[in-house]
Amino acid sequence: MDYDKLFQTLVNSATLGSTYALIALGYTMVYGILKLLNFAHGDVFMIGAYVGFGVLTATGGALDPAFSPWLVLVLMALAAMAACALLGVSIERFAYRPLRDAPRITPLISALGVSFFLSNSVQLLFGAEHRTYDTFNIAGGTLYEPAATLGSFSISWLRVITVVSAIVLMVVLWYLVTRTRIGKAMRATAIDRDAAAMMGIDIDRVIMFAFLLAGGLAGAAGVLFALRTDLFPQMGFTPGLFAFTAAVIGGIGSIPGAMLGGYLLGTVEALTVTYVTVWVGLPVGLSNFVIFSLLIVFMLFRPQGILGRPEIRKV
Amino acid sequence: MKRRSLVAAALAVLVTSVLAASAGADTRTAARPEAAAVSCSGTINIGLLTVLTGPAAFLGQDQRSWAVLAAQRVGKELGLKAKIVNFDTTLDPAVALTAAQRLVGNKSIIAAVGPATSGGVAATSRTLADAQVVHVSPSATRATLTKGGSPEATGFFYRVVADDSVQGTGAAKYMVEKLNADKVTVFDAQEPYSVGLANTVENYLKRRNVTVQRLSVTNQTTDFSSFVARIPADTDVVYTPFQVAANANQIAVLLKEQGKRAVVFGGDGTADPAFKVPGSYFSNFAPDLTSVPGKQAIVDAWKQANPGRSLSPFGPPAYGAVQTILYAAKRACAGKSSIDRINIKRKMKAGPIPNWILGGTFRFSSKTNDPLNGGFWLFQIQADGTAKQIGRL
Repeated sequence: MDYDKLFQTLVNSATLGSTYALIALGYTMVYGILKLLNFAHGDVFMIGAYVGFGVLTATGGALDPAFSPWLVLVLMALAAMAACALLGVSIERFAYRPLRDAPRITPLISALGVSFFLSNSVQLLFGAEHRTYDTFNIAGGTLYEPAATLGSFSISWLRVITVVSAIVLMVVLWYLVTRTRIGKAMRATAIDRDAAAMMGIDIDRVIMFAFLLAGGLAGAAGVLFALRTDLFPQMGFTPGLFAFTAAVIGGIGSIPGAMLGGYLLGTVEALTVTYVTVWVGLPVGLSNFVIFSLLIVFMLFRPQGILGRPEIRKV
Repeated sequence: MKRRSLVAAALAVLVTSVLAASAGADTRTAARPEAAAVSCSGTINIGLLTVLTGPAAFLGQDQRSWAVLAAQRVGKELGLKAKIVNFDTTLDPAVALTAAQRLVGNKSIIAAVGPATSGGVAATSRTLADAQVVHVSPSATRATLTKGGSPEATGFFYRVVADDSVQGTGAAKYMVEKLNADKVTVFDAQEPYSVGLANTVENYLKRRNVTVQRLSVTNQTTDFSSFVARIPADTDVVYTPFQVAANANQIAVLLKEQGKRAVVFGGDGTADPAFKVPGSYFSNFAPDLTSVPGKQAIVDAWKQANPGRSLSPFGPPAYGAVQTILYAAKRACAGKSSIDRINIKRKMKAGPIPNWILGGTFRFSSKTNDPLNGGFWLFQIQADGTAKQIGRL
């Protein structure tokens, strides 16, 4: 048994899962309140990555930062979260709010349009070439140094920071949703929007807050993801698709479900690429086929997702 | 009333079917305008089919810069006025086909440089040939374009660079004989260029009793962590024949993160500043031009025309492609006031090309439309992230 490969796969699961969970939370919060699948959310994540790149470049880049590299990383994350929170609110205000009373397909089309608008805008403004944070050179390569070792296996600081940051953000979100007035209002609106409005809750404000939170989390996810990968205008498509799937598996509309779904999907993906394709004798290039086949089977038996509630139809 | 409605619906279906069928009809027929004669004293337009946008745009922009320079310098040398007309193929063969159709529809264009990618050539060669447009690629290296039982390209396709049977074999041989590789992981990106190259390398390595692991990704893969986790720690070389250099770079970084000693070896698609992990290798179909005697003036002219761009070995063959077309045009113009597309075809192999951009004199093979003595050069990424030519494959 190759334990190094197993531990590395677990680390990959946690890292991927953290990204998917942060993005999935945005999908699930918006769906829970508006019953809208915000297809532009993956591109908000992409914008977050680019904002991080902009801050890194403006502060001197990986090789010659103007401040402490750790401060630069924090600034990148905060800037991305702020920018994407604002972007999320703007998208809601101009692309979705006018269509709130329209048939459900209409805001869905609008969401697709926003998605194309965002990715093509970035391509027009910055080009389609892959860019990179050059993480290898940030802080003299410290991010890739081992934070912990177990025999011959080591886990880098980059992975630790990614997972811990994601968990901290999820805890903050949980606190906001369960322990604050606005969080209570969000939960009430998700249960019954009309009743919440009749109880005096400002629905517009609650929805705006949901998009603010969703955007902020996506922005953070963008920076954390781009620390390990490249940036390009279409980078939000695949993680966005996987995160949406994670939200559905966890139970669309359920915040704990989105977190669980994110980590579950990250684990399925990592295990499939590293082990399952070998066991079933398929080329690793078909790993997405395996992943989504498993998901289809899962959904057949549990269509409401793991923590979702079955839909009650009144007769 | 009901009967009229049924008839109207049936007619609508029939019309729609006819329109759909004609839309899917053989585009070659639609793309064959009559070739126009071009005056030898007028402007000779050369189409450039390359990747101007997208993740590999750096390479296409590089080719464009060298093609434009060649049109100016070689045109002046030969007493011709030449101009480059750009057509963006991206990395998608379907987009390349649309670009080729637009090119052939422009009657003032007498020949083409490109397409840049092997997939683009396979998709467009028939369309270009039907319109009698000679197309000279400075970078499409897939061997089956011109070789094998059923070449994917037509007789109107030429290339000024060697093909992957040279690149793949040379790279694999270097891995075995110089890097002493016993275990190699070979990636492909599920498209014609990388699959062909990966197959060539894998086959050679297996013949030399090297243990080969084959992994497949796509150009849309964003996170390679799990793929790299599959690479055994005692692997010596990881071969990454990608068109997106940043992906090869990411794999090199992940190998270091996961404590694996394998060194990354890329194909000509990684001849890009984005591939910069020190110690990595890549092969390319052209040498570093600063190492070729007598080319300093051209290099200086290129730098002056392209401030801020870094000199890469990928672009100069585009200069060479323009050279072949303009020499064919010059020869075709001898004793004539105007020429058309087929005249270019007839003169493509009429003689050698002196002052070849890559040194010496250039000739096409008499058997195929490949260069007579093409080769590949080997580069290694230095500690400062720049590439240094270390030899020839």
